Amino acid sequence: MEPILWFGWFRADIIAEYAMLFWRGLQMTVTVTVICIVQGTALGLAVGMARLAEARHSPARQLCTYALRWPSTVYVSFFRGTPLFVQILLIHFAVLPLFVNPADGLLISGELARSLKQNYGAFLSGVIALTLNAGAYISEIFRAGIQSIDRGQSEAARSLGMSYRRTMFHVILPQAFRRMLPPLGNNAIALLKDSSLISAIGLAELAYAARTVAGAYSRYWEPYLVISLMYWVMTLGLAYAVRRLEARYGRGDTR
Amino acid sequence: MNLLKKTMVSLGLLALALSSAQAQNKELVVGSSATYRPFAYETPSKEIVGYDVDMIKAIAQKAGLQIKIINTPWTGIFAALNNGDVDLVISGVTINEKRKQSYDFTSPYFEARQLIAVQQASTVKNLKDLAGKKVGVVTGSTGDDIASREFGKTSPDIRRFESTPVVISELVNSGVDAAIGDNGVIAFRVQEHKSLKTVADANFPKEYFGIVVKQGNKVLLDKLNAGLVAVKADGSYAQIYKQWFQAEAPALPAQ
Repeated sequence: MEPILWFGWFRADIIAEYAMLFWRGLQMTVTVTVICIVQGTALGLAVGMARLAEARHSPARQLCTYALRWPSTVYVSFFRGTPLFVQILLIHFAVLPLFVNPADGLLISGELARSLKQNYGAFLSGVIALTLNAGAYISEIFRAGIQSIDRGQSEAARSLGMSYRRTMFHVILPQAFRRMLPPLGNNAIALLKDSSLISAIGLAELAYAARTVAGAYSRYWEPYLVISLMYWVMTLGLAYAVRRLEARYGRGDTR
Repeated sequence: MNLLKKTMVSLGLLALALSSAQAQNKELVVGSSATYRPFAYETPSKEIVGYDVDMIKAIAQKAGLQIKIINTPWTGIFAALNNGDVDLVISGVTINEKRKQSYDFTSPYFEARQLIAVQQASTVKNLKDLAGKKVGVVTGSTGDDIASREFGKTSPDIRRFESTPVVISELVNSGVDAAIGDNGVIAFRVQEHKSLKTVADANFPKEYFGIVVKQGNKVLLDKLNAGLVAVKADGSYAQIYKQWFQAEAPALPAQ
């Protein structure tokens, strides 16, 4: 292919040559991000509530302490206290082969394990690592959000005869969610950017596409500038979506 | 006026003498990326050892050069040569046309060939057999070039990673069907894993590793080449080769 120069220095032809890799990479980045936001939020809600679990009488009290509060605290501490990059490598090269392995996988083995690993290995490890990591951060957002709601709210709901469940889902969480939106949005943006780390285990997402081009041509401006712009546009879109959501859910606050 | 002239001349002479004295005793800095066992790697005591290291030490001794080996990351090794941080590079660098345009190479000190690594049970006999299979390579390596040419630059079947050990881990865990890389490194890694074997494709071209100097540094290049000739002639080359690869050393072309 003839070199095509934009502005006298930008080799557009090498980007065009690898266009498919960038396009599929973009799709992969979006897919991973969406899955991890949804799963991470669900996990974060569960863990956030587990960290606040309390009961007055035995055995529910011990159950809350040892089966819910302690494990969830350890989980959050580990996933916030270790680098995401390390978690991705640990899960992909150590944890997942233990469970999914053609030879002696604890969960899946044989031919199914082989095809699963070859077609979705990096995707699976990446999504698991990113979800677990995001879940830890999001659980803190939920915990803070729930605790920020005045105690009187739940006392009032309970005195009206509402169950814990109904109190939580109909009174506390709707109010807390409004306050949690800005940090949740922050988290979604961080998640989108962190997905680039999964390229280390060979998942063909945006950063992988750029690394491939840089490796083939020893040119760094073109590929990394292109994906920077793509990430930037996506995070702008996410920020806009969060602002719209805030405006929508904020309406209840204006009286 | 005359006095001034005389002073300047003598100062100039002094500077010249100083600089030439410096050039003679100057310790040359050798850059090598010590993550490429068995060519160059760090022992637990932070000593850099390997085939490349032994070769450059033998060459320097013959050529009467003082050297100091510095561990330089592969990604920045050519930049380090360009800006003068290192005077020469010996780091398993394959001599190719693209690199020859920007740097000068000594004559070959190692014959390299690409090698395929697969699981023991695999029926793969050559590169063509890898069509439709997942192939692991190091980004931007010769193996990457070969796979890209054979299966298409943007093929999702090519999985690119940062280093050979990672590619081999992926192969051991069945994440890819095969790995392509430099023979010395692949053979070394495969012998560490009983479940793997190597496959040599006779169609892979012969390649050579050379020592790299800044373009136009003819003085140093000539000294290194003379040293290399001496090292080949007195049998040190064969001895060093045997020590690291447990095989007879192949004859190397003079250019």
